[in-house]
Amino acid sequence: MTTPLLTVDNLKTQFFTEDGTVRAVDGISFDVYPGEIVGLVGESGAGKSVATSSILRLVDSPGEIVDGTITFKEKTLFGLEAGPDGEPRPSEEMLTEEEMRKEVRGREIAIIFQDPMESLNPVFTVGGQLREFIELNRDLPTEEAKQEAIDMLREVGIPDPENRYDEYPHQFSGGMRQRVLIAMAIACRPDLIIADEPTTALDVTVEGQILELVAELQEKYDTAFIWVTHDMSVVAEICDRVNVMYLGEIIEQAHVDDLFYNTKHPYTQALLNSIPRPDETIEELDPIKGVMPEAINPPSGCRFHSRCPEAREVCQRVHPEPRDLSANDRPHNAACVKYDVFDVGYDASPPLETDATGGFSAGLTQTESEAEADGGDR
Amino acid sequence: MGLARYTLWRVVQAVPVLIGIITITFFLANQIPGDPVQTMLGPNPGQEQVEAIQARYGLDRPIHERYLSYLSGVAAGNLGLSIYYDRPVLEMIMLRLPVTLLLMLSAFAFAIATAIPLGIISAKRRNKPADHVSRIVSLIGVSTPSFWIGLVLIIVFAFYLGWFPARGLVLPWADPADVRGAETQFQVIRTAAHHLFLPMIALGTLQMAQITRIERSAMVDSLQGEYVKLARAYGVPESTIVRKHAFQVAQLPVITIIGLGLSTALGGAVLTETVFEIQGMGRLIITAINNQDYELIMGTTFMFGVAYVVGVIITDIAYAYIDPRVTYGDET
Repeated sequence: MTTPLLTVDNLKTQFFTEDGTVRAVDGISFDVYPGEIVGLVGESGAGKSVATSSILRLVDSPGEIVDGTITFKEKTLFGLEAGPDGEPRPSEEMLTEEEMRKEVRGREIAIIFQDPMESLNPVFTVGGQLREFIELNRDLPTEEAKQEAIDMLREVGIPDPENRYDEYPHQFSGGMRQRVLIAMAIACRPDLIIADEPTTALDVTVEGQILELVAELQEKYDTAFIWVTHDMSVVAEICDRVNVMYLGEIIEQAHVDDLFYNTKHPYTQALLNSIPRPDETIEELDPIKGVMPEAINPPSGCRFHSRCPEAREVCQRVHPEPRDLSANDRPHNAACVKYDVFDVGYDASPPLETDATGGFSAGLTQTESEAEADGGDR
Repeated sequence: MGLARYTLWRVVQAVPVLIGIITITFFLANQIPGDPVQTMLGPNPGQEQVEAIQARYGLDRPIHERYLSYLSGVAAGNLGLSIYYDRPVLEMIMLRLPVTLLLMLSAFAFAIATAIPLGIISAKRRNKPADHVSRIVSLIGVSTPSFWIGLVLIIVFAFYLGWFPARGLVLPWADPADVRGAETQFQVIRTAAHHLFLPMIALGTLQMAQITRIERSAMVDSLQGEYVKLARAYGVPESTIVRKHAFQVAQLPVITIIGLGLSTALGGAVLTETVFEIQGMGRLIITAINNQDYELIMGTTFMFGVAYVVGVIITDIAYAYIDPRVTYGDET
């Protein structure tokens, strides 16, 4: 197997707020290989966007990366080592802020943001903004960068790019703006593009066109993608491998086919049940019960137990690390104690009464203590 | 529509506003109790004298006739004759207007030059000590009346320290022969700057404080914009982000407050000129009112109205120039 382009190992990003520490990303690990599209899936608040901004080291204050290593093409984007006083400090190899800005951001790793309406600067021309990023990240003189910008606009399907170059963002539709943002990412010729829910704000027909465009460009330029989304149908359409996140953790990690046809984690299953699938006929969709708990005080044990239809008493106590449950030669990691390899006595453990398992006492936002009380009654 | 036609259109639109200003000031001025002729001639004037003077200034005609002839006079650039000074109103205004404009422009130059960096630093170091200092300073600035600041400046810098003169103003383009202690034009300019300094600060502090506050909040907003995040993610240096990406967007509300500030500064100029005994438009309007000089009241008020309208037009044009989303009225 080839070496990974990007390796994220045990990444932890926390937000230090007045109410306490929010563990937005809590020890996730994944790889991205050259030229593949890796999905990062989960509900709102799972920590997907924080994970991607951590890769570029652009986490907004009061957020901070507190642990883990991020390696990209032999460069250490983030790494810690023990200092002389025993406290962790940035390691020797870790790139400085200046190096991150000059060598990595845009040039090696580009990003496409979620909201095309807000991401372009309203007072500069679309072409000018594109040209600025090309100039900066490809060291081209202004005139060449402008030509390149026009070519890129044409490539992402903007009609009449010579004239549209001088227009302002408000003269573009949402879909067109998203194409411009894609042009920005591709134009810098990075090896990795992070697409942070780029189609969420678009309507479905435009979404289809954008996905097609990305697939085309991805083939042409052989760029790797991290595709952040909450939409399982988008995952099915374009991803090669998928990481499913829940409350700051990756709970299932598999090839896209294995994830859809041999789903391991109840959360992934619940996500899949909540969308219509063309390959299955069902009477009714089955949305996930409840809302995701706050990352400031995550549930004990398995974080999904409060909403899991298969939760048992042991799930409150044991916090599972993902293990390989693969049935073929592709790795397939999942973190659920119902599998025998975990061997924590799931089968013997009594079922939990939660909202998801049909319990009557549980509310929509059941707290940990309530869940424990339920268990204790038995 | 191009920027030039847009400008022209805005000027044309201002005409009805100006006619409205003239109408209101005309009838208001004529409603002031008392009589300018009486003020002029004392308590017991002779009947003939009164009639002669009324005839000279057209006061013997019915009010609607006077209104119409005044209106046509203004259209022809004739603002009438000052009763008090016995000189054409326009001449008096032309004599005093440069003084007030000089004071206002220098006050705004001072305000903008200090407020914009202060606002940016404040926004950039949000909730840090530098931000707190600048916010407290601007809070004091907006809540202190300019005449009080003027008095304090006079007491401290003119009376106790003696660094600056307390009264009067010298125009920098004045003839060196007319200025005491100056032989060359350069010395005149220096004397002018010396005289201008305290009134400039007295008048400019309010504007500075207001602009700082708006600049700060606009910069805080735009620094949190998605487009700033995008620029950071593409490796744009932080200084460029502040100077270009965030700054341009943040200037829209700042321009509005500067445009509105022009009108409050006119009011402030009247007080500042009184405090510093500067012979400008502010003093002229007060003299006019005190002496019931109808023509002069109308003329000066009209000039203030013109200044206000010009301020609004400049704001609109600046807006259209900076914000591409502002259309020139014919796009949908």
